Amino acid sequence: MAARMNRTRGTALIGSVVVALALSACGGESSAEAEGEGSGSTGNCAPEDITLVGQVRNQTNPYEAAWLAGGDAFAESVGLEQQKLTYDGDSQQQQEQIRQVLASGDASCTVINALPNGDSDTTPIVNAADSADAWLVTQWNKPADLDPTEYERWIAHLTYDGVESGYQIAKALFEEMGGSGGVIALQGILDTAAAQDRFLGLQKALEEYPDIELLDDQTADFDRATALEVTRTLLTQHGDKVGGVWAANDDMALGAVQALEAAGVDGVAVAGIDAVPEALEAIADGSMTATVSSDGPWQGAVGLAMGYCAATGELDVASIDADDRAFFAEQFLITEDNVQEFSDPQLDMSEFDCDSLFSRATGPIAAS
Amino acid sequence: MSNHAPIAPDASRSTAPVLAVRGLTKRYPGVLALDGMVLEVRPREVVGLIGENGAGKSTLLKSLVGLAQPDSGSIVVRGEEVRLRGVAHAASVGIGMVFQEQSLVPNISVAENILLGAEGAGVRGGLFRWHRMAELAQVQLDKIGSAVSPRARTDSLTFAQRQMVEVAKVLALEERTAHEPVVLLDEPTSVLEREEVETLFAQVRRLRERASVVFVSHRLDEVLEISDRVYVLRNGRVVAEVDPAEVDATDLHHLLVGRESTGSHYHDDAQQEPAGDVRLSVRELQTAGCDKVSFEIRSGEVLGVAGVQGSGREELCRALFGAMPGARGQVLLDGRPLRLDSPRAAVLAGVGYVPSERRTEGVVSSMSVTENLSMAHVGTVCRGPLIDGRRERELVDTWVRRLGIRTPSGDTAIGTLSGGNQQKVVLARWMVSEGLRLLILDHPTRGLDVGAKSEVYELIRELAASGCAVLLLSDTLEEALAMSHRVLVMKDGRITACLDAPRGGKPDPVAIMEAMV
Amino acid sequence: MAGDTTPHAPTRSLEPAPLADAPAPGAGGGNGDAPGTTSGRARATRSADVVQTRASLIALAVLVVVFAAISPQFRTVGNLQQIIDAAAVLAVLATGITFVLLLGAIDLSLPGVIGACAMTVSLLVANSRNTQDLGLLGIGLTILLGAGFGLLSGVLSTRLRIPTFMTTLGMSAIGLGIATILFAGVRPVVLDEGLGAWAAHRIGGFTVMSLLAVAAVALGWAIQRWTRIGRYAAAIGGAEDIVLLSGVPVARYKTLAFGVAGAFYGLGAVMLTARLGSGVVEAGAGTDFAAITAAVIGGTLLSGGRGGVLQSMIGVLALTVLANGLILTGVSPYVQQAVQGVIVVLAVAVATWPVRRRLGVVK
Repeated sequence: MAARMNRTRGTALIGSVVVALALSACGGESSAEAEGEGSGSTGNCAPEDITLVGQVRNQTNPYEAAWLAGGDAFAESVGLEQQKLTYDGDSQQQQEQIRQVLASGDASCTVINALPNGDSDTTPIVNAADSADAWLVTQWNKPADLDPTEYERWIAHLTYDGVESGYQIAKALFEEMGGSGGVIALQGILDTAAAQDRFLGLQKALEEYPDIELLDDQTADFDRATALEVTRTLLTQHGDKVGGVWAANDDMALGAVQALEAAGVDGVAVAGIDAVPEALEAIADGSMTATVSSDGPWQGAVGLAMGYCAATGELDVASIDADDRAFFAEQFLITEDNVQEFSDPQLDMSEFDCDSLFSRATGPIAAS
Repeated sequence: MSNHAPIAPDASRSTAPVLAVRGLTKRYPGVLALDGMVLEVRPREVVGLIGENGAGKSTLLKSLVGLAQPDSGSIVVRGEEVRLRGVAHAASVGIGMVFQEQSLVPNISVAENILLGAEGAGVRGGLFRWHRMAELAQVQLDKIGSAVSPRARTDSLTFAQRQMVEVAKVLALEERTAHEPVVLLDEPTSVLEREEVETLFAQVRRLRERASVVFVSHRLDEVLEISDRVYVLRNGRVVAEVDPAEVDATDLHHLLVGRESTGSHYHDDAQQEPAGDVRLSVRELQTAGCDKVSFEIRSGEVLGVAGVQGSGREELCRALFGAMPGARGQVLLDGRPLRLDSPRAAVLAGVGYVPSERRTEGVVSSMSVTENLSMAHVGTVCRGPLIDGRRERELVDTWVRRLGIRTPSGDTAIGTLSGGNQQKVVLARWMVSEGLRLLILDHPTRGLDVGAKSEVYELIRELAASGCAVLLLSDTLEEALAMSHRVLVMKDGRITACLDAPRGGKPDPVAIMEAMV
Repeated sequence: MAGDTTPHAPTRSLEPAPLADAPAPGAGGGNGDAPGTTSGRARATRSADVVQTRASLIALAVLVVVFAAISPQFRTVGNLQQIIDAAAVLAVLATGITFVLLLGAIDLSLPGVIGACAMTVSLLVANSRNTQDLGLLGIGLTILLGAGFGLLSGVLSTRLRIPTFMTTLGMSAIGLGIATILFAGVRPVVLDEGLGAWAAHRIGGFTVMSLLAVAAVALGWAIQRWTRIGRYAAAIGGAEDIVLLSGVPVARYKTLAFGVAGAFYGLGAVMLTARLGSGVVEAGAGTDFAAITAAVIGGTLLSGGRGGVLQSMIGVLALTVLANGLILTGVSPYVQQAVQGVIVVLAVAVATWPVRRRLGVVK
């Protein structure tokens, strides 16, 4: 999807580039109190000197591939190339890559948009970037007590409210079921915050729908094949009572859809989270009810955009509202009604203008 | 190579040799294994080869099946010089070997083993035809009159049966070469019992009807019994070719080691009366195969344990070394209780164990002489947590010299040494320890030649003289009697007799035999 | 007596001390013939494999009985079909890996080989990404690709003498790399109806896939039983040096055994793809250890030479029954993983008990 977008919408992008450059030029003049040194909360890098780095776990799933494609689109829009790094879910390798990036070239003009492997991996990344004066945006994982406002160049951390995601798809699912019936829940890897929060959202929705019964909850490890087996076994156990399947991600939801098809069961609603392309197709053809999108391409682009604006001096990190330094980003419930819009996603380059970077912030991450 | 002609058995002595070795020389690092070896094998005769360990027997046999490439000299098969590239090549010219360590794959059928790599009509179109395989294998088994089923799994056979299968496998060469094969038997009797040896001999005689046989053994009288001609090897050369009808075992001993072996063989003079206190006291030891056994050993005493297979004596040894899970009983070593639940506890208490399976339990073949020697007592060469290399080397040098271990250096892999030298390393491993109180020897001379045995006996005498208690399971009753101060006889897990065996007053073997069976 | 009779005698080790103290003729001994010392070792030992297989079957039976007693749903025909269906992919993979384990080698290439094959098949049959529609030919090519991976693992291991642990691990990385390139950011959804029917269509209550798996396992068993590849694999695992001494081209047959294994992984990848409905790069994640665990529970020894395709199937069923039963008996998902681990270890312990050596040395 995002990859396709690159090719087909090349001309549109160039248009956006021109607009973006024009805008950034305006913004730049107002805040260009350049400091000679490569430190402080604003930069003075020439645009062509900036290195853009996007780092995710791997490219073997649609979500992270879309993330990197979004980063590419942004980089292209400012006439640069994104350096794409993948670390295969290996924390050691992630740290090593960060060190290498910071050691090569001018770190103070380097922008890193990273997906830390886990909460505890964020701290060393932040420290490494900070001591090299590089610009950093992190997403998804961060220890609660680590606060970007205490750093000059850790621009922001953004993530999504898993409770909200779980809650939204649960509501959509229950509505589809007509407000009553039995559901089974496929949980993610149990010791991850994402799995726990999303399940909390389901439970919150269950309280609002007294006629919905949670028949069973099992973990399927965020994995499609596992979800398929687990769903089939649960179908054996609960049979006709199953009216809906709540899955903590789309991969598991798609596994459940496969299981339902294989078992020849019709009329069971399925909802997931992540909005992977196949899930969107499934929603379009009616085999899935709902999913939630975090908008991977936007994630890949916005982190680089924040860094780019800061490095060129158009964005003064110190002046960003404290609530925006660590925020929940907006997510979108996708159902049959609006699936077309998301099936053919377009990056709206105006969202990456230096003054609209935080337009999707829905609120600060509650310190817990 | 189609000069195959039927040869009358009685004409064999006068016919051209089927196999001739001419001036074969092979040098290994630090060792001249073959030094211009010359010998012949004629059609349908049994040639005996005897020699001490290191005399060159193994290297000669390896050269004859292409596993070792001689540095110079030649191998001539039926008049044509050949350069053997490997076992398969040797087989193609009609030379096959029954290896000392059996060379059958345990987890496949007898038929597959016999035909391994040469299934011929047993496999058609890539598919095994099991009926045909069985028939083909049966042909070979019939040649030696073996009743083993070709469909049996090899590891379900007894040792002797497996050996017959090996012979059958070698005989399969006949069909492949259109010649009468030369069969090399490497120490085939070393682990057989007397009755099985008789069976084997019957097979060898039968074999002589259709093949030439080279028979290697360290049991001299067996060689004399079965061979038509005997070559005596020493230091990589043939030192004598004798007619078995004209010599006896004592003559062979002279030839082999160049010294009178019988009198001083067991170092009888070195047997001293044990002067010490009770070293090991065993009360009602109970374990699988061993039923409430009680006995004592004094320090400086060698206690022989006699018994047939299944008498429980091996279990007894293992139990004392903590290697028989579930062993119970009151065992005191110098008055202190000895734990029976782990070999490590035994080692720490001062118990040493020389297992009978030297290759699988005694040495780590791939490790060096030094490592093998210091294995059980790394502590004595350690400085802090690290091994002190210099001290380790000194220690090893000392023992290599003291025991006359023939090795190029301490760094040589022990697997490349002869059996006798390996065993000396194993013994040295325990002798290194100053805290050694009890040494358990499980068939310490198995597979060793006369000279090496004698050296091991000397070491045992030395150990005893130094106050160590020795529990000895012997290869032969004669050895047990000669070496021990007392002999325990076990049968069906119980002690049936205990006889004193002082120097000059050894008990009658017949009495012991009666208690054994 | 030697009640320790280690059914799993180490390769080429001799029978337990066979010598009695019969007066063996030695130097100057002068003893006459000894009275017959009948040895206890005349009796043939029961085939270790039979004992082993029995133990594995007992472990499986215990699982089935316990789950059936606790859960009524477990006892249904529908659940039996579900178990067979769920076991299908693992059965094919375990059949493949059995050939490698028989050699005494190990194969960690499954995740990569399966990933590459899954992407390949989903791009060769009718799919959402391109206009290919090769159908059965695409499936055949994918199986060949799997075999190719296997052969490459084999060649690298035997010719370059690299341990299979390393070559297959590398092969897995190569496979994943190829899969990632083929993936290119968009999952190809399988539109081929024939392949889709593997998972959805049922014959006599069993999915097409289950029946294919049974056929594949039968084929694997036949290869093991009647071909040189299978027989030599077992022999090589039993005693490689002896097989080499017999003039068998060991390297070639090892390579071929890896090739056979790879073909089964290829088929497994096709089945996984049919089941998941699209080409998934990580489809093979964790399958290497699942397949090895299944084989070991069934009694295929990692040291080689023992076990076989049918034994491995016992392990496959045990693992599948375990996963199925734990859910049906309502074990909390939070403890399932731990329970599963404990039961697998127990099952392996039970299944391999008869082959424990007397000193209990485990590597």
